[in-house]
Amino acid sequence: MASEVAVLSTRGRVARGLLSAYALLIYVFLFFPIVLLVLFSFNANRYGTFPITGWTLTWYRQAFNDYQVHDAVSTTVKVALQVTLISAVVGTCAAFPLVRSRLPFREGIRIIFILPIMIPGLLIGVSLLVLFTGTFHWTLSPETAVIGQSVYTTPFVILLVAARLQGFDTALERAAADLGANAFQRLRRVVLPLILPAIVAGALFAFTLSLDEFIITYFLIGGHNTLPIFIYTQVKFGITPEVNAVASMLLGASLLLLGVAFALPQLVRRTRRLIVRARTA
Amino acid sequence: MTVTAAAAPQRRRRIRLGHALSEYSGFAPAVVLLGLFFLVPLGIIVCYSFWETIDYSTVHHWTTGNYSYFFSVGAYVSTMWATVWVSVVATALAIALAFPFAYWLSRYVPKRLRTPLLVLVIVPFWSSYLLRVYSWLTILGEHGVLNRFLQWTGITNHPLGLFLYDRPAVILVLVYLYFPFGALTLYSSIERFDWNQLRAAMDLGASPLTAIFRILVPQIRPGIITAVIFVFIPVLGEYLTPQIVGGTGGVMIGNLIVNFFQSAEYTRGAAASLLIAAFIVLLLAVFRKSLSSRDAYGI
Repeated sequence: MASEVAVLSTRGRVARGLLSAYALLIYVFLFFPIVLLVLFSFNANRYGTFPITGWTLTWYRQAFNDYQVHDAVSTTVKVALQVTLISAVVGTCAAFPLVRSRLPFREGIRIIFILPIMIPGLLIGVSLLVLFTGTFHWTLSPETAVIGQSVYTTPFVILLVAARLQGFDTALERAAADLGANAFQRLRRVVLPLILPAIVAGALFAFTLSLDEFIITYFLIGGHNTLPIFIYTQVKFGITPEVNAVASMLLGASLLLLGVAFALPQLVRRTRRLIVRARTA
Repeated sequence: MTVTAAAAPQRRRRIRLGHALSEYSGFAPAVVLLGLFFLVPLGIIVCYSFWETIDYSTVHHWTTGNYSYFFSVGAYVSTMWATVWVSVVATALAIALAFPFAYWLSRYVPKRLRTPLLVLVIVPFWSSYLLRVYSWLTILGEHGVLNRFLQWTGITNHPLGLFLYDRPAVILVLVYLYFPFGALTLYSSIERFDWNQLRAAMDLGASPLTAIFRILVPQIRPGIITAVIFVFIPVLGEYLTPQIVGGTGGVMIGNLIVNFFQSAEYTRGAAASLLIAAFIVLLLAVFRKSLSSRDAYGI
């Protein structure tokens, strides 16, 4: 590969230079708005814009003391935990027959499972609104929002766990059966530990998606606020650095969780290797 | 003796039934969740779009009135076409911007740097969608960074209101939101391209651009179509972007739908929602052939 890069013609080198500059611009385009958002949350200027009149944590302090923010945070976390639990359980259960059973119309079923991700969230939101209020006559609450978000997050868990199961060496299970393990023991001692990283990654993913979800929640949560809904209602009255502070914290939380979700499989592999090495040593 | 002979097939059938039950039982929770709370509501929406709203309550009276009402109001029809237009432009721009980027990433970047650089593109995509829309307010708004910059350089001495609250702002933010989707999909199909073919074409006298459009592009067509679909569908149902940066000039069909539902006109809202669904089905039908190949999913 290295020699291939070295033998580029002059024209090739010019193309590479231009495209690299272009790519750099793309990265600037992608990160500039987010960087500004965070920057202004530390800016003393109370209009949330340039010039930077001084560095301050006032807006964070204000956000921490705002009871509306407290309410929104606790609702958001409660909803996200329920969504995570539901989608991890439902998604993992569904991944098994999707990969392992002799399924007629496997592709069709797979597409139905993926459909909630593919269609605009707006459609999920309004159709559930009609079901809950028009057909069931339920009162909207954080619980109805949990159902709506779960419809949207479960497919991600199904995809992640199914991918892991697909690459699963079934010989391990047969070996366990030969050694006398029954179906439950095989599941508990062999299969689950091996697919656990995918389940945990899926759960973290669902948690993050739930933290940030707006449109489905907007329709289904009734009089309550999650953080995105709170930010949205504040934006209607104009930009304030306090919203920037709340937004920056939400951003930090989701990036942290995603980082863990992506790094987890590798972390688990590494720790396991360390443990094995420690045992053999 | 005769009893066991008769019972044997029955027992076998029972075992087979039990086997099938344990084989498919994992689907049960998903069937409840996605059946009852996804497919059933979609069916109900279809019914609602053919029912009537009288005095804020829904009457089960079959009619196509909601659709004819929608098409009889000029503002709704023009919003619908504007939505399609904005979606087409935003999708085209997102993919046109993503192509050179994916090309650069898969051709000129050393292999070990590719994944981190790709992840860097996806990071904003997985950060909050609301925040990414909101962050543009701080740039395009009246006291926004862009106006500050123009005033500072002396190009203008008063804040200009023209950056926000119109279609260009909506398109810009949509391109920003969905660029990572396009880049990711295109990259995963360009990555598998054999660059020797491009070199061969150029050895035979093709200019680089001719080689790209006649050799590379036809081979990654499934990837391009997937990118188009994955960008176009969510854009079509956008609500937040036009709501926050679009103002009255940038209204899209998603805003109409939300307004219908907020004013308790469920049946009209249902009809408008189904129009979005109809466009999606149309799009998928047009590209059905390219999608049926496994290639389209970048696997």
